[in-house]
Amino acid sequence: MNLVDNFYAYLWPGVNMSELQTYGNNCNSYLVAKALPEDKHVLVDPGMVTNEARQNCLDRLISEMRKDGIEIEDVGLILNTHAHPDHYGASESIRRMSGAQVAIGRGDDDFLKLAGGEMANALKQMGFEFPELNPDFYLTEGELRLGQDLIAQIMLTPGHSQGHISIYWPKAKVFMGGDLIFYGSTGRVDIPGGNAQLLKESIERVAQLEIEYLLTGHQYGSPGIIVGADEIKRNFELIRKHIFPYL
Amino acid sequence: MPGNDDKIKSALEIALEKAQRLGALSEDEKQRLKNEELAAAGEALAERYLNGLPLRDIEIELAGRAEQDRHITSHHLLNHLLDRIDVVPVERNDKILNAIQQLPGDSGIVQSIRDLIQEYESAIEKARHENLSALETAKRNELESKGISGSAVQPALETSPEWKQIRQNLDSHYQERLEEMRQKHKNSTESAHSVTHTEDKENTS
Repeated sequence: MNLVDNFYAYLWPGVNMSELQTYGNNCNSYLVAKALPEDKHVLVDPGMVTNEARQNCLDRLISEMRKDGIEIEDVGLILNTHAHPDHYGASESIRRMSGAQVAIGRGDDDFLKLAGGEMANALKQMGFEFPELNPDFYLTEGELRLGQDLIAQIMLTPGHSQGHISIYWPKAKVFMGGDLIFYGSTGRVDIPGGNAQLLKESIERVAQLEIEYLLTGHQYGSPGIIVGADEIKRNFELIRKHIFPYL
Repeated sequence: MPGNDDKIKSALEIALEKAQRLGALSEDEKQRLKNEELAAAGEALAERYLNGLPLRDIEIELAGRAEQDRHITSHHLLNHLLDRIDVVPVERNDKILNAIQQLPGDSGIVQSIRDLIQEYESAIEKARHENLSALETAKRNELESKGISGSAVQPALETSPEWKQIRQNLDSHYQERLEEMRQKHKNSTESAHSVTHTEDKENTS
């Protein structure tokens, strides 16, 4: 669905327990339409191909995009906020369909390579599998210039994972936070690579930004998009008060 | 069925028939069969070690066998571990090399392999250093042509086709050298093993 300007949101069902149980886990995906030359699109966090509930997540994403007149073959760039498979899992599949470039935070690519060994065994015990990812470039703190005049700020926001990045689009005041922060909650810190202190610091950094649309990684029983500066500010306060003490 | 001499044989009958056939085997054939069993045992021990069985448990299991059996099992265990070494330095290489060094057998090859791996790592670093700048520039140009640029962009050297080719060439070269080393070691230990086996047979006859 179109959110604002050329920003689109494809939310994975999960706004209540019934949806969560039926559809299983996957992330919300976001798209910036025609951000690149030849009207190519930028896709953020493509999600998985299929999930543990045997849902065809990628098929669903493609179908939803098509309803907005957007074809998967026209994706020119995939940005991954972090190296958890429910976010980046379909990257290589989409690359094969579209020829898109693929990017991820450097810290998380290192984590994925570590994940080829002992880390992978530990995470596999928790039920994670790690599809292949071959990034064309890494994202680090700084400016990402797209096309003629679109600029995004890439922020290193570790805590949920060691190399987690977030994307701030200052002109549209849109913030894509991956699994950093949700409506009334935060990303978990108990997965290898997680760090509660870093998560809190990352959230406090983000709280300083001017945001009108805070786009989260999941609808874990609550809306995936928080709209309005006041509502977003209230969310930060609620998290400081009720969540930070337990991190 | 009436008048039919065929019958379904029981498992015991089949086992007894096999035992009878074994009884008809020559000493050499019996030894060959035993060696095959011991080789399989050695390889199984190697796999169990790679899957997490502590080295101490391997040593205990070997110590529980008769001397000659221990030699043969150990020989195959070490050869199987040797086959599992790859030039790409993975954590498993250290685990394997440590086992080869500590278990009874010829561990002279361990240092040679460690030296080869170190040489391989240095060669990769040298190639990376020599090619990094050019490959990075090429990738940045490619990304810019697709409308992607900025200070947040760090080209990934590892995914460029040019680097993959350089890496493949290096991997092939060092993999060949490792294989030569392995074969040479196996040939020399096979000869020594045959001599020992022949001497033992002579002593027992």
